[in-house]
Order: sequence, then structure tokens, then C-alpha cells
Amino acid sequence: MATTVAAEAKFDLTLTEEQQLVQRTAREWSRDRLLPIAAEIDEQGAVPRALVREMGQLGFMGIDVPERWGGAGLDMVSYVLVMEEVNRACASTGVVLGSHVSLATAPLARYGTDAQKERSLIRLAKGEWLGCFALSEPASGSDAASMRATARRDGEAWVLNGTKNFITNGAFADLTVVFAQADPEKRHKGIVAFAVEKGAPGFTVGKLEKKLGIRGSDTAQLHFTDVRVPDDQRLGAVGEGFAVALWTLDGGRIGIAAQAVGIARACLEDSLAYAKERHAFGQRIADFQAIQAKLADMATEIDAARLLVWRAASMRDRGERHSAAAATAKLFASDVAVRAARECVQIFGGYGYLQDYPAERHYRDAKITEIYEGTSEIMQLVIAKEMLGDASA
Amino acid sequence: MKLLVCVKQTPDSTVRVKVAGDGRSIDASQITWAISPYDEYAVELALERKDADPSTTVAVVTVGPTRSRDALRQALAMGCDEAILVTGAAAESLDGLAVARALAKVVEEAKPALVLCGRQASDDDQGLVGQALAETLGWPHVSTITKFRPADAGPAGSVDGIDVWREVEGGHEVWRTSGPVVLTVQKSEKEPRYPSLPGIMKAKKKEIPEKDASSLGVDAGGAKLEIVKMEPPPARGGGKIVKDGDMKQTAAELVRLLREEAKIL
Ligand SMILES: Cc1cc2nc3c(=O)[nH]c(=O)nc-3n(C[C@H](O)[C@H](O)[C@H](O)COP(=O)(O)OP(=O)(O)OC[C@H]3O[C@@H](n4cnc5c(N)ncnc54)[C@H](O)[C@@H]3O)c2cc1C
Repeated sequence: MATTVAAEAKFDLTLTEEQQLVQRTAREWSRDRLLPIAAEIDEQGAVPRALVREMGQLGFMGIDVPERWGGAGLDMVSYVLVMEEVNRACASTGVVLGSHVSLATAPLARYGTDAQKERSLIRLAKGEWLGCFALSEPASGSDAASMRATARRDGEAWVLNGTKNFITNGAFADLTVVFAQADPEKRHKGIVAFAVEKGAPGFTVGKLEKKLGIRGSDTAQLHFTDVRVPDDQRLGAVGEGFAVALWTLDGGRIGIAAQAVGIARACLEDSLAYAKERHAFGQRIADFQAIQAKLADMATEIDAARLLVWRAASMRDRGERHSAAAATAKLFASDVAVRAARECVQIFGGYGYLQDYPAERHYRDAKITEIYEGTSEIMQLVIAKEMLGDASA
Repeated sequence: MKLLVCVKQTPDSTVRVKVAGDGRSIDASQITWAISPYDEYAVELALERKDADPSTTVAVVTVGPTRSRDALRQALAMGCDEAILVTGAAAESLDGLAVARALAKVVEEAKPALVLCGRQASDDDQGLVGQALAETLGWPHVSTITKFRPADAGPAGSVDGIDVWREVEGGHEVWRTSGPVVLTVQKSEKEPRYPSLPGIMKAKKKEIPEKDASSLGVDAGGAKLEIVKMEPPPARGGGKIVKDGDMKQTAAELVRLLREEAKIL
């Protein structure tokens, strides 16, 4: 039972015809439209809105949303293929996409009522609206259930109070999936999720964080002061909010793992190109075995990480239990990305330390994958609890 | 208006092609295939017309091995309405003229108002099929076009001609054609669109009917051209850096080398 091989082994890794076409569109778009401006996005600290619109037109923003609700009707495997390609070019754009798709459209598609989907999901899936996910608070991250934001029932509505922290896409989102405590005595079973629209009175955007990496993606504080939210904007049952968050994060972690694979691949591809150009001691640095060993290790680890990501994605597609598989993929892939970024800077030597070359950006971008949507320590916790048979994880 | 676009599947432009062991074909084992770039422009140009007038239908056809189906799937995902695959043993080794003859049969059946081809395929660069198709059909053709649209119609909206733009030195030529025509495409107004994800899913639901090349009256034996040998270009020699002496001496030495060794002055 408790085994690291969580899934029945399915060794056919052939992508379907659609998945291959999706990968090709994502690869070519990212290479042509994103890669040339990735350094500028980082430096200016903003992903152009026009790019987000383009991702909407291409169907990236509603990739796994059913066609009935304005999406492309593809699957999680297609989503991770797109995430890898977009993040290979630009991790800032990757997290704008990832937060929107796996943290906002996914819970709406799964827990939303038809009326909510009609109103919000269609716009989100087409990329007309941007979504975000507000769980973390200044005093609670890993221990999200100890949140202080409150939801008080008042007739046909709820009144929300509190502050959410570190919210990706928070500054511009049209729709925020937010969590608040309605019954502190019930602890995590008292939490309620809501889909709150931009402009609700009392709902304001606070400071934007200055960050080490993924600088093109905005990270905002959100304030809720007596915000009246009609009950029909509640997502899932009363008390089901924490389950909504956990199910959402299981998917999100697969997306972040794919982001990590994309960043690691950028490190490898940039390293390869540089190692073939740069000469020292009368030969290409690629001819040194020490450099070859780094490149070979990077390639091996990236392959392994990608396989874990694909496995987790296909388990989610098949409706199997996948919390541990998602955590495994994220734990490993984020570690691979951070190591690949370190080796990439090393292969670039002094130039790796300069902003003129992409290695420096990869080094700063890679680190976040070990932190958000659950730190590596929390991933270990999830994996261990699954093995130990403790269902409370 | 019904448009028919002829496409060929060729190695993707990012692929490094190698000559196969037989010395007369390319090694296909490691190749990613794609729609030949000029053909992709032709698809884009047809789709731009459809964008402007949604009553337009765009069909796409290829003659080639079964793997060519992927190129058709991509064209459908870009937004084409239907696709026809002409394949079978006979379709594996046709020359340009035989391909044009097979396409002519498809055109006669599909009866499009006009046919678009890329100006040449990126693999063999022959630039033959479009013209040969026009000749076989007995249709006029305009080559290396960059734009077309129905000629300005009378108030009744009846269109009886097509205006066609060709890029020429310093400007454009505009041609007006009447009746069905074959156009070969130089480029589209915009870069070819990426197949959107919803487009990919829509394409998935479409059948791609298959026609056997031999049933169109073409057989492999009918090829008039045979490739006897393929050779990679000679490996490039190392460059030479002229650096001895002052600027004047270097320049003199450079001129001497260009004249006597490179023989280009
Ligand atoms: C750029 C960025 C974007 C983000 N985007 C979002 C977003 O869109 N929405 C959102 O809700 N949140 C977002 N976050 C928040 C993010 O998910 C949290 O920062 C993360 O979960 C960690 O929480 P924390 O910062 O409170 O750290 P803490 O929970 O305080 O953790 C501090 C350290 O203690 C360790 N630790 C904590 N608990 C345990 C334990 N039980 N066992 C072992 N070690 C433990 C952690 O691993 C970490 O090393 C974002 C954060 C950043 C930096």
C-alpha cells in the first residue's frame, strides 16, 4: 500500500495527436513571442497585458475548461505541456498563466454552480478575465487553515474581513477565489471559499511586493473590509472551503512542477549553447568532461522530473488520487530547477552573474518553485503522510 | 467562395537534414515534419480571406505518404474547414508533374473558385507543382502573390473576378483574373497563425477522407524524374584572419587574397 510507486505503471508515454499539436503551438508561440522579450519583462517588472490577451486567444487561459464553458476542453497533460513551454521562455508569464488556470478556473469548473460558470468561468476561460487565488495571509502560509480572515453570514450575503498576502495576479485580477473562516471552532472545517469580483466595495489592492525573481508577475496584498459577498458567490458548501483549497493546490502543484521543468530546460538549453561557443585552454568548454558531466546530469534530472509531472497530470486526468504524486513531482522538479540554475550560472562563469545573460534570471526565477503552492518541506510532509497512512495530510 | 490550398509536408525548418545510406534520399528517422513554409503562407492567406468573409470555405489537400495527415490536421487546427489526403503506395514516390496531375483530379471534383499553392516546397525547392497544376487544368495562374481578394463587385455583389497582388521591385503589380485560377503564394499579409487550442479540438472532430493516389489515375511508374544522387554541401573550410602589419598592409593583403585565392575580385 504505502509504496513510492503510487500509480499502476503505464509506460506508453506517446502524446495524442492533439497533445502534440498543443505542444507545438505553445512551443512556437513561446519561442517567437515570449523568449525575445523575457529579459525585458523581468527588468520592467510586468508581463504585457497584450501577451495575456494572446494567450487567451490561443486558448491557453481555458485549456482544461470544458468547451461548454468557453474553454478548449483539453486535459491536465496538455496543460503541463503548455506550462513547460511557456516557462521555458519566461517564468513570469508562466506563473500568470499557471495561477489563472490551475488556481482560479479549476476550482470554478469543479465547484462552481452553472450560474457562476455562466457568469465567470466563460470569461476566465476565454482570457477576458484574469483570475487569482487568495489563501495565504501575513501570518499564515504553510499553515493555511489557521487563517484569520473571517466570513460572517448576514441574511443572503456574507461579510468578509481580513488581509490576504502574496497574491499572484492579485493587482489586476477580475475574479478572486478567496478563503475565509466562518466558524473558528470547527477549524479547517469552518472555512468557506468565495469567488469575489473586482470592484466589490471594501475590497482593495494593497502593496505590491518586490521580489527576487518572477518579477514580471505581480504579487499583491489584498484587503477585505466589510466586503458584502452574496451567497451565490460562495464556491462549494459552507465548511468545504479548505477541501476546495487542497484540491485546487493539488492541481496547482503539478503546474508549478511543470514550471520548474520549463525553467530547468531553459538552463540546460542556454548552457548547451554557451558551452559550444565559449573557449578556454584552446578548446570549447563543452569539450571539458567536467562541463559535460554537468550537462548530462541536468538532462537526466529534467527527464526524470518531466516524467513525474506527466504521471501526476495523467493521474489527475483519470480521476485517481494524486495528492502525493503531485507533491512528489513538485518536490523533485523544483529541486532540479534550482540545481540546474546553479549549474547554468556556473557554466556561464562570470557572465552567468551578469544581467546581460539569461543565466542570472533563471537563477532568481528557479527558487520560487520550492516555495509557493506549498514549500518543499510541506511537500515532504504530504508524501510522508500518504506513506504512513495518515489521512489527515 | 470555396478555396482549395495544396500543401506539402516537409522537414521542419529547424531540422538538420542528413542524406540517407542509399545516397539518394534523406534520412527520415529523426525528422520533425511540418507544413512547408510557403504552403503555410498559402493557408494563412486563405484563412485571412475567410476572416474577411466568413462564407468562404477553405479546403486543404496534400499528396504524400500517410504521415502527411499531420500536416492536414495542423491546417484544420489553424482554421481550414476540410482536408483531403491523397496517399497510398503510389503517392510515396511521385515527381512534381505526377503530383500536379493527382491534384488536378481533386480540383475537378472539389470545384473550388481558386487554388492556392506555396511558390515552392522547402525540401526540393522545385517550384513546379503550382504551374503544372494550372497547365493540367487548363487554368490561368499567377505566381508569387502576396494578397488576393474578389474584384470590387457591382452593387448586386456578384463577383466575377479576383484581384491579385504581386510584389515587384519597388512596388506591387495588381492583376485581375476572371474565372478559376491557380495562385502560388510568396507570403501572407500576416505571419501564419498558430493553431489555437480550441482550433485543435475542433480539428480533432473532423474526418480526413483518404483517396488512393492510384484511383486518381496516377501510378508511381509514371514519374518522369528520378533522383540519382544527393550530396550534402561540402564542409566549410576554416576562415582566414588577415592581421599582420598595419592597416594599409592588411588591406593590400586582403585584396590580394580575394583576387588570387578566392578569385572574387
Ligand atoms: C511570489 C509568490 C507568489 C505567491 N502567490 C500566492 C498566491 O497566488 N496565492 C496564495 O494564497 N499564496 C501565494 N503565495 C504564498 C505562498 O504559497 C507561501 O509563501 C508559502 O506557502 C509559504 O508560506 P509562508 O511564506 O507563510 O511560510 P511559512 O509557512 O511561515 O514557512 C516558513 C518555513 O517553515 C517551514 N515550515 C512551515 N511549516 C512546516 C512544517 N509543518 N514542517 C516543516 N517545515 C515547515 C516552511 O517550509 C518554510 O521553510 C506566494 C508566495 C510568493 C513568494
